[in-house]
Amino acid sequence: MYRNYAKQEGFNTEVGLTVRLASMNNSSQSLDAEDTVVSDESLLIAVGNHQDVNAFNQLFERFSKKIFALGMKLTRNEQLANDLIQEAMLNVWQKAPLYDLDKGSAKGWIFTLSRNRCFDMLRKQKRQPNCVSADDIWPPESGGEPTTLVHEDRGGLEVELSLIEGYFDQLSDPQRAVVEQIYLHDRTHEEASAYLQIPLGTLKSRLRLAVAKLRSLIGVED
Amino acid sequence: MNTDVNMHPSSQLLNQFIQGELATGKSIIVSAHMELCKSCCAKAKELEALAVSSWVDPSIAPQLESPSATDYSSMVASIVQSAQLSSEPVEEVVEVQMDVLDDSIKLPKVLAKAAQQGLNWKQVAGGISEAQLILDDETQCEFIYMAPGSKVPVHTHKGSETTLVLKGSFEDELGEYKASDFIVRDTQHHHQPGSKEGCLCFAVLDSPLKFTQGLARFMNPVNSYTFKKAISKAVTS
Ligand SMILES: [Zn+2]
Repeated sequence: MYRNYAKQEGFNTEVGLTVRLASMNNSSQSLDAEDTVVSDESLLIAVGNHQDVNAFNQLFERFSKKIFALGMKLTRNEQLANDLIQEAMLNVWQKAPLYDLDKGSAKGWIFTLSRNRCFDMLRKQKRQPNCVSADDIWPPESGGEPTTLVHEDRGGLEVELSLIEGYFDQLSDPQRAVVEQIYLHDRTHEEASAYLQIPLGTLKSRLRLAVAKLRSLIGVED
Repeated sequence: MNTDVNMHPSSQLLNQFIQGELATGKSIIVSAHMELCKSCCAKAKELEALAVSSWVDPSIAPQLESPSATDYSSMVASIVQSAQLSSEPVEEVVEVQMDVLDDSIKLPKVLAKAAQQGLNWKQVAGGISEAQLILDDETQCEFIYMAPGSKVPVHTHKGSETTLVLKGSFEDELGEYKASDFIVRDTQHHHQPGSKEGCLCFAVLDSPLKFTQGLARFMNPVNSYTFKKAISKAVTS
């Protein structure tokens, strides 16, 4: 199947939209005239169902310039736009078996693939963190039921603590205990020193150190 | 009044989102809102259909010639040697449960993915904490937690500030905002948000906030500093 690839005419030559049905003979589409314009969808399904190289060539001719134009618009860089043709059309080839008419028009499907590959390509090129990819931002199932924010009851103080945990973790245990007494339980210095069973002077110096540490953590200069 | 306030992304912003024109931080906040908002999903579908038809319309799209030096036949030849996928790649599901305001909420999926890099909460002003995420080199992105009864010092924005409410509510001169609301503020707004019941938000800033009042002035250099730090981290990581 791979071997029947025949060298195509130059990419820049304007090609007609007719293809010979010979390449489609295993397709479930029934087309009666040899000169019928084969839809993008039929071509894509032929690529997906039986790795139809001829159909893929047709898709390449129909879409590569448009992918290039999209790449130029988004990257303003000819080399990247050219790379996008490769990335996006490779993705079309790889994912064609997953396409069906429920996924909408072939051009819409190819558009979203191209946009997503361009987005990931740009992030990679700018060396941005890769925790989020285009497929997370434009999930395939988008348009379905919206998520609802799920709630569960939790205790109040624990909540506050867990939010600022990372910031508290950098204090020593005695410092943290003092900060919790003063800022979370809202106790006076006297109440806190009684509760923690430490002298008032010790409490004050621990608090001063803890606050200085916290200030430096959030970047406030003294 | 407040005609310039929207609880949803504008059509223009949704269109830029669909076209892939927004930087990562903005893309994520729009995506997170859409996960919570049916009407924006429907609107985005329509805008996408329009974007696709103008993309393929030769009378609208510029007929760009790609560099003739490229050998497209060999590009195609190598592509068709690749293996095809037989099923959708298994999506890695990331769930982030966040405890906030006597409750626990599940973050929208895209924010959960983004939050994987770890959240380091820092208190920035009375009752207000933030945890920054490094997502791109153009914006400062952060979760903001406002304790019940807290107020942000009066400030203006140099660029725009986009906020998505995830839990609770906050209010300013122009209105009250609750979960799933999407709010855009720019340089014209001189505002002082406060939160009576407390809230958790995700925000994307084009440039640092500029506080304008009283003691809060000391925060200014700090804000510029964290902004620059966020940017340089994105660039160097
Ligand atoms: Zn909406």
